Amino acid sequence: MMTHDEVSELLGAFALDAVSHDEYELIEAHLAECPRCRAEVDAHREVAAALGNSVEPLPEGLWSSIASRLPPRQDEEPPPMPLLVRDGVTEDVAPVPVFQAPAASRPSLARARRSVRTRLGAVASIAVAAAAVSIVLGVNLVHDDHQISQLQDALGTSAHTAVVAALHTQGSKVVHVESPSHHELAEFVVVPDGQGYLVKSSLPSLASNQTYQLWGVYGRRSISLGLLGRSPNQATFTSAGPKTPKALVITAEPAGGSVTPTGAMLGTGTV
Amino acid sequence: MQEIGDVSDAQLVTSVARYSEVALAEVYRRHGGAVYGLARRLLNSTAEAEDVTQEVFLRLWNSPDRFDPTRGTLRSFLLAQSHARAVDAIRSLNSRRLREAKDARRTANAEYDMQHEVWDLSLAEKVSEALGTLPVEERRAIELAYFEGRTYVEVAELLDQPEGTIKSRIRNGMRRMRAVLVEAGIQGVDA
Repeated sequence: MMTHDEVSELLGAFALDAVSHDEYELIEAHLAECPRCRAEVDAHREVAAALGNSVEPLPEGLWSSIASRLPPRQDEEPPPMPLLVRDGVTEDVAPVPVFQAPAASRPSLARARRSVRTRLGAVASIAVAAAAVSIVLGVNLVHDDHQISQLQDALGTSAHTAVVAALHTQGSKVVHVESPSHHELAEFVVVPDGQGYLVKSSLPSLASNQTYQLWGVYGRRSISLGLLGRSPNQATFTSAGPKTPKALVITAEPAGGSVTPTGAMLGTGTV
Repeated sequence: MQEIGDVSDAQLVTSVARYSEVALAEVYRRHGGAVYGLARRLLNSTAEAEDVTQEVFLRLWNSPDRFDPTRGTLRSFLLAQSHARAVDAIRSLNSRRLREAKDARRTANAEYDMQHEVWDLSLAEKVSEALGTLPVEERRAIELAYFEGRTYVEVAELLDQPEGTIKSRIRNGMRRMRAVLVEAGIQGVDA
């Protein structure tokens, strides 16, 4: 065990990998509990990176060698995007921030989701993966009390409390996502702070190797808001960035989702 | 249409966490040269530097959660990984033999290397200026530790100084350099 002062003296050497293995372990343990020392190490490492920032041309074939060593994944369950979909519809629905795992998971998915939570753990603070496409939107804005009332009736009173609360929120907008032939596919409600909820969906179930993916349109960019699953039922999302998206878009993507939309644009709706 | 080249580093790592090989390839395109360059500089061997580079990117693939964007840039994170792996290699027996055979020349050139091989665009100039502000004893301790992969104990032996003195020189030198770099407007090392 090292004292704080002993560790502090070694932080410069630690950041340069100039300590022994035993000291390294002790300092790591201390850093886990000492934000002040952690901040100092981070600062030293930025300086070290400046010292070592000497770019060289990459050897030919090195990337191929790396890519060939990436573990195969065909036997794994889909490593998902933000977990928007709640399993089960009989319990009350509480808002689930993007990237936060659902409270209940199907047993068959539990292991895969634990793995994904681990992978996403420290990157949870990162904005949702951005994608980029130009999309011509067919839009249909719906926002009136009558419609909200109809939606509430449809939802019932025993569940979807978060959705109902969102519908009651001043300034909330209900968004119809429609197919190009104006067939209603899904309804969302988006509150002014950017939180959104799936109200209902008539999207047909996809094959097991596919998922619906929700995108927010910001200017000319489409940013993934997360996966809706192959049979959308309940979902919540937070729009990325300070602004709410101009529109929502749903595509069908390979299971696990895509960085950029690759599937057909099934429906759109303005916010 | 926005290309993947426009996506931020943090967003790329998020995609890597979702097993996007395309995202990993883009991280490699942006930072691979720096990762490889640092490893090659420390190891003085292209083959070993390639091994280190492979290991760094495979680790990012397998454990993307180790990158915390609140603690620094992705470039800095990857360079720290590259440096640690390279130092591990240096400290292994085979690399030790290789290094010892080249010690005299590399030690003699260390100051030159430090001032002239850290060349990444305008950053090189700022880093050079920051180095120039350090007392020579602090600068020498940092050189031996960072570019030679020495522990502070070894640096103390080489410079015939107490270990406590070397610890202080390294820490104070790093602080001093940071202050100069921050004053020059460099908050972190990015692509």
